[in-house]
Amino acid sequence: MKLEIGNFYVNDIVFGSELSYHDGVLTINKEEALAFIREDERITEAELYIAKPGDKIRMCPVKEAIEPRCRLDGRTLFPGYTGEVVQAGNGVTHALKNCSVLVVGRHWGGFQDGVIDMSGEGQKYTYFGRLNNIVLVADTNEEFEKREQQKKNDALRRAGHKLAEYIGNCVKELTPEETEVYELGQMIKRDPEVEKLPSVVYVMQPQSQMEEMGYNDLVYGWDMNHFVPTVMHPNEILDGAMVSGSFMPVSSKWSTYDFQNCPNIKALYREHGKTINFLGVIMSNLNVALEQKERSALFVAQIAKSLGADGAVLAEEGYGNPDADFVGCYVALEDAGVKVVGVTNECTGRDGQSQPLVTLDEKCDAIVSCGNVSELIKLPPMETVLGELDALKRDGLSGGWADDEILGPSVKEDGSIIMENNSMFCGDQVSGWSPKTMKEF
Amino acid sequence: MKKAILYVNQFFGQIGGEDKAGIEPQIHEGQIGPAMQFAKELDAEVTHTIICGDNYMGSNTDEAVATILGMLEGKEMDIFLAGPSFQAGRYTVACGTICKAVKEKFGVPVVTSMNEETPGVDMFKKEMYILKGGNIASKMRKDVKAMAKVANKILNGEPVGSADEEGYFPRGIRHQTWLESGTPASERMIDMLLKKLNGQPFQTELPMPKLDRVPIAPAIKDLGNAKIALLNTGGIVPVDNPDRIQSASATRWGRYDISERDLKGGEFKTIHAGFDPAAADADPNVITPIDALKALQKEGVFGSLHSYFYTTVGTGTTEAEARRMAQEIVPFLQEDHVDGVIMVST
Repeated sequence: MKLEIGNFYVNDIVFGSELSYHDGVLTINKEEALAFIREDERITEAELYIAKPGDKIRMCPVKEAIEPRCRLDGRTLFPGYTGEVVQAGNGVTHALKNCSVLVVGRHWGGFQDGVIDMSGEGQKYTYFGRLNNIVLVADTNEEFEKREQQKKNDALRRAGHKLAEYIGNCVKELTPEETEVYELGQMIKRDPEVEKLPSVVYVMQPQSQMEEMGYNDLVYGWDMNHFVPTVMHPNEILDGAMVSGSFMPVSSKWSTYDFQNCPNIKALYREHGKTINFLGVIMSNLNVALEQKERSALFVAQIAKSLGADGAVLAEEGYGNPDADFVGCYVALEDAGVKVVGVTNECTGRDGQSQPLVTLDEKCDAIVSCGNVSELIKLPPMETVLGELDALKRDGLSGGWADDEILGPSVKEDGSIIMENNSMFCGDQVSGWSPKTMKEF
Repeated sequence: MKKAILYVNQFFGQIGGEDKAGIEPQIHEGQIGPAMQFAKELDAEVTHTIICGDNYMGSNTDEAVATILGMLEGKEMDIFLAGPSFQAGRYTVACGTICKAVKEKFGVPVVTSMNEETPGVDMFKKEMYILKGGNIASKMRKDVKAMAKVANKILNGEPVGSADEEGYFPRGIRHQTWLESGTPASERMIDMLLKKLNGQPFQTELPMPKLDRVPIAPAIKDLGNAKIALLNTGGIVPVDNPDRIQSASATRWGRYDISERDLKGGEFKTIHAGFDPAAADADPNVITPIDALKALQKEGVFGSLHSYFYTTVGTGTTEAEARRMAQEIVPFLQEDHVDGVIMVST
């Protein structure tokens, strides 16, 4: 497969008369864009904002992030989700870089939603604090889940994906500043020089633990709860085959933006032919029942072995219960003779003294650690709030609380907040961005 | 200026060697032995030096500690230091013992230093900053400098860096931190991967802690006469959640009397945020099967059912909190002579 991504760097975003990109400036006709959003009758309220690094803006409850893109041949951006099920991973795609579409609830949040700060101490906690963001703040008529702690956020998330494609279309006819080419052919009978190198697979465990449909990550629109591990081409991940879900404390989540730009995949690509023979991706999942976890681990180990992998990189989108899938899969691969490096976050508690993963094994000897979900974070008030800050204390966000004997509520009257890292939007960046690690004190 | 007090043994207190190791504690105004160098390095005045024989501290620990705490009563003190104690086994234990007692009694920060080959390290490393010290007294200058560096950060209200950066023994505390280099996880992953594939030494970022496995208890011999209790981490509570147990990262638990009532939807529900609550809200027995247990009891499968079931929420709840809650629950079970518990996780 060969995927060309033509990059258009966004240095500024403004509202104007016509959706366009010129000299690094993305202009959006706000009313036209909002009219497009409102085509979905479920959207009852919608507004667009711009949030750039340094802006005194706090967003909450943030639900999803997507990189605006378009495909030159007209195929849909997220096959099986925003359009027909067609092949992802080849052809030419244009992308607006340093830029994301963020979806924020106008009022209501949930367990899986989070916080982004664009300046101050809180900015460094998320990747999106450093991007130029188009922020859709909206509400829906999905009354059935308004007061539910677990929300599918279906209308809002779909609006975000459609908006990303709508905006991305403005660079369809333009010539990109630079083009990234991702090309990886068949796994066997490669160049003998490449085949001499140790062969490596990337094993992904995206979130799929909700038994009810509508919450989990999707692969070509298919709910990953109904899935057993299979082989995928890395380009498919980079090119919209994966859509993020709406379940799991959000610092552990991978947004759709994270899938589209997955740094772990890009790093393995860079080493391909130099230090490793990058075979491709084994797409796994995360499960609830032990038997399901064991089944997935068996599949992954068998596939890795059959492909002749010498090494594997294993990453999980979650913590707590999913640690059992992560450690189980790690051990199954090592037992099959595949050398593993794991990428995960930890839950060591606010005081840092708890066991880092819910299950452990001596065979997990090489782990890149990206953060502590339960780290306590205090942030001062922010001039502007997009969304509704009270959601952090009111709606059961995983890192917020209504009240606490010692700490009080998560949101103070002056707009300052105290929360667990758990609610930093995609903050632990296990897909590879994370500049954080864990250290012993 | 802030104030510090130093503890040393008879040798570094310039009283004498092994023949003087039995001396009782004494306190001197000003600086004796290593205190002189601390005075140069510290952002604090070393106001007093306490000297105690290693044997006296080892054989009469309670008296020695009580005497020293008495000497410190009423003294101004922003930090308490002990050693460095190098590879001297008894001296390291003495430093750890007195630091722990002073920290607990007066709530002041304490810092000491010892060599990794000594018993004091394992006994006290979780309680305080113990700098990794040299094995012989000629390392005095270096070890004092290392202690002073950490002590000064504490005195000046600056954050103390990680164990590796500062050179102290890890205290069993793990926190997230931003790498100065900014190297993203993907690059660290590649580095570790290549080293592991090529058989070179590599450094994991999550060293596997010693596993704390609980052995499975022996089977109950006489189930027909056994008293059984039901516990769960599935968040089943009365609908008003009277104990305000959190939906995630729980620190609270509750116990609910089911001796005279059944579990019904509408009266009990789950507050667990980690799974779809529909089934458990409709019928809480799917998580806490009180109905089945009562039926089995009637059939004589087991003797009796403990009057309460116990609830907390497992999702995001740390191992340390879970352990504490269990320790709080266990006495209730023991008091009622419970023979076995069914622990339902979700």
